[in-house]
Amino acid sequence: MSYKVTTEGNISTVFLNGEIDMDVTEKAKEVILPLVESGKEVHLNLKDVSYMDSSGISVLIESHQKALEKNTKVVVKEVSKSVLKVIMMAKLEQILNLE
Amino acid sequence: MTLSESKDFLVNSASLKEVRTFSRDVFEKINLDQDLKDELVLAIAEAAQNIVKHGYKGIEETSDRMEIKISLNEDQLEIGFYDKGKPVVPENIQHRKLDDIKPGGLGTFFIKQIMDGAIFKKDQQDWVNHLVLTKKI
Repeated sequence: MSYKVTTEGNISTVFLNGEIDMDVTEKAKEVILPLVESGKEVHLNLKDVSYMDSSGISVLIESHQKALEKNTKVVVKEVSKSVLKVIMMAKLEQILNLE
Repeated sequence: MTLSESKDFLVNSASLKEVRTFSRDVFEKINLDQDLKDELVLAIAEAAQNIVKHGYKGIEETSDRMEIKISLNEDQLEIGFYDKGKPVVPENIQHRKLDDIKPGGLGTFFIKQIMDGAIFKKDQQDWVNHLVLTKKI
């Protein structure tokens, strides 16, 4: 997994790339959670994420819940078809902010 | 069509990518819908992850290996997982309730969603756990 972060005003966008599994979830959380904790609105762009398992889904849930605590939000954007299928299997499409 | 391929992997999270590559390579040899292939790869990766995460919980590093065997006999797909981790008590395996939104607890749910059957067999002397996932394809 690789990533790129851009910030414009109060919105930080994290562009994730590759496969997100248990082996990289700590790295993903280290990138995303400090942004959420700083109170920024965080956009996760998953256009180039080709695979995500239950560990990756946990990162999305943890980020979403942390954002609620901080009165901000995490928006999950441009979800690839394969990742959307996993999100839907977990019945999270109504919980996460998908765009 | 019949097919049987197996491979062993070091028990750690870095091996999960290799597990997916092995699974994808095997499924390339079978005429299956791509969505089904993706689901099967996910189920295999989740089961392998469970071995790393739960079977070896509290163990930082191990030289143990796990084996995955993918077999197809006509339309019956069987995937075996062999490991030497902590003995699994099948009755204790539960996925979280879906409406209890929190991180974790989804791997087993995904496996159950994707596969027709998942049972632990007590038929191995050289291994501690033997999980068998089945699906009619």
